[in-house]
Amino acid sequence: MKKTPLYDRHVALGARMVEYAGWNMPVQYEGVRDEVLAVREATGIFDVSHMGEIRVKGEGAGEFLDWLLTRRVTGKKPDQITYAILSAADGGTVDDLLSYTMAEEDYMLVVNAANKDKDLVHMNESLVAYKEAYPDRKADVEVIDESDLYGQIAVQGPGSLDCILEVADALELTEEEREELKGLKRFRQMFVPVKGESRDLIISRTGYTGENGYEFYIPIAKTEHYWNIFIDAEVVPCGLGARDTLRLEAGMPLYGHEMSSEISALEGGMSFFVDLQHEFQGSVMKDKVTRRQIALESDTRAIPRDGYEVYVEGVKAGVITSGTFSPVLEKGIAFALVDIDTPEVSHVEVQVRKNLQPFTVVKAPFVAGK
Amino acid sequence: MNQELKFSKTHEWVKVEGNIATIGLTDFAQEQLGDIVYAEPEPEGTVVELEGIIGTVESVKAASDLYAPVSGEIVEANVEIEDEPEMINRAPWETWFVKIEMDDLSQLDVLLDQDAYDEFCKEEQA
Repeated sequence: MKKTPLYDRHVALGARMVEYAGWNMPVQYEGVRDEVLAVREATGIFDVSHMGEIRVKGEGAGEFLDWLLTRRVTGKKPDQITYAILSAADGGTVDDLLSYTMAEEDYMLVVNAANKDKDLVHMNESLVAYKEAYPDRKADVEVIDESDLYGQIAVQGPGSLDCILEVADALELTEEEREELKGLKRFRQMFVPVKGESRDLIISRTGYTGENGYEFYIPIAKTEHYWNIFIDAEVVPCGLGARDTLRLEAGMPLYGHEMSSEISALEGGMSFFVDLQHEFQGSVMKDKVTRRQIALESDTRAIPRDGYEVYVEGVKAGVITSGTFSPVLEKGIAFALVDIDTPEVSHVEVQVRKNLQPFTVVKAPFVAGK
Repeated sequence: MNQELKFSKTHEWVKVEGNIATIGLTDFAQEQLGDIVYAEPEPEGTVVELEGIIGTVESVKAASDLYAPVSGEIVEANVEIEDEPEMINRAPWETWFVKIEMDDLSQLDVLLDQDAYDEFCKEEQA
């Protein structure tokens, strides 16, 4: 099992460690509920060093990625980050990712740990297919796995900016960098040179909690140094349990649940992130939509879980793809994937163990960020 | 402590008075589950087989069942835990799920005592 550079710190903090995507990761420190509430009300930090970083660069890299992903990465501001789906030729989903523009024709894709190796194979095969399909386009593109070069820490919550500014001395941010951070818009990134490292620290205003937040991509040897700065400032460490609950409360998808090789981005509720006006490899997905996503809140104490069956007007209509107890709403919440011809209803039933339990159809997000 | 209790390998504690077994979830189990946000005992009057389901607990992230360490009839169900599932985290030894009128007292012989259970938990965690 792989360990992040912070493994020893997690153990020292008393975290419960679990295997996740081949990594030994903290699932919780004090408790999922307190960690969720810390992020909703103040600030929490997460070790997300397991995430993969794949560099795609060279002449034609931007156009290649435009074809590979459900949205264009070209034509964006140089510091702009794009959330997009990596779809297969059959329209199924390979992964979802963030694309960072590092320089002209130079991109860093941040991908799910569990999918990284599969993504690399898919991207290299797709590059061959792309060159064959478009022999007239320049595609001197390299696909490089840089996952071992970065640690990653997410600082999330309404207090996250103030928290980072409070420790700005320890982080060795210059006055200019502090001002840049204060002005950083959502889905934008900034580079911070790090003493003794050839790679910059990347700070982006991104996250997976629905709250304001920042993610630090750190030259790997410095990861523990940055983590300790936040821990010393008494920021609450949060595990994967809180991370998954926060993302679902925020109505965000998780690969393997809301989308998969069998569930396209359009079916999985991500049509906003699919630009059908541009030509891309998996665009056939638009002709294969047989299901759609609905969001549910429990009318009782029942907690929905992945795989539970959903019934509409007494007929089985689909399954829960992600379900949890929301510590903020204090009730069960879920995404479900139902047949496309399921009638539009305001109430459904979910089979929870022996009984059918009533749920209300709602609009995601379940919890709006502050 | 808890020398009067017996334990199952599925992490239930059992307190025996006459032919009545009071059953709850162990401290180790509640600690492993984390914040318990849902609890439901099987209803009074249910006849359960050995290792049949006698209740359900859910933490924020996961659901799990409690299994009968002894067979018999549930003569009392602690429905108060449905309103206060967090009591299982706070006071696992006082927060019982069901009382079973046992039909085979010899089933108690295979249950673990405190020392054997502690040892079992250590192995499970390793």
